[in-house]
Amino acid sequence: MAFVSPSITAYAVEATEYPDLARKYHVSGVPKTVVSGDDGEIEILGALPQDAYIDQALSALSPTALHEDTKATK
Amino acid sequence: MSLIAPADQDKLREAFNEMTSPVRLLFFTQTLDCETCLQTRQILDELPPLSDKIWIEEVNLVLESDKARQYAIDRVPAIALVSGEKDSRIRFLGTPAGYEFVSLIQAILLVGGRPSGLTEENRKRLAAVDKPLTMQVFTTPT
Repeated sequence: MAFVSPSITAYAVEATEYPDLARKYHVSGVPKTVVSGDDGEIEILGALPQDAYIDQALSALSPTALHEDTKATK
Repeated sequence: MSLIAPADQDKLREAFNEMTSPVRLLFFTQTLDCETCLQTRQILDELPPLSDKIWIEEVNLVLESDKARQYAIDRVPAIALVSGEKDSRIRFLGTPAGYEFVSLIQAILLVGGRPSGLTEENRKRLAAVDKPLTMQVFTTPT
């Protein structure tokens, strides 16, 4: 996805090596994807078919895409 | 002694043979306080002997902080994949061992020219994204 879109940057994060990031994003199982855009943040749990995964990832561009935890801290 | 079994080296060599573009792996490291940097370097060093299209460039996070900022890397070990001078915007944070090694190989092949596997429709949707989006995919080696 990052390779075809100049606006997307993708990080593969080794969760056990970076427990601070895993804690920050409440990672309790893998794979877990956290997608952050200007308007919000969404989570994708597990592996999904391509269409569904991209639908969910792009929903982070929606102004209503604030993660519950993010909302709670605002 | 190689970390990769001879049969697997052959498979990788064959896969890398299909690459049409060179891939540079920027390996972000630091001298102190990095328990897994040496292991990461050892893993990465296995790859250039298998393809003349893959090479490693070591970047010291402390001494070359401008370059680290350029690639939005703030921790080590980390790897950024670059094709020629074009940043792929694909990063790996942590040691690429176990399943992460497989993911790294897939990413190298993609950046090296292999089709992404995205449908044409999805490729267009992604290419049309005009706001910054950061994706962090959390994984474990097992």
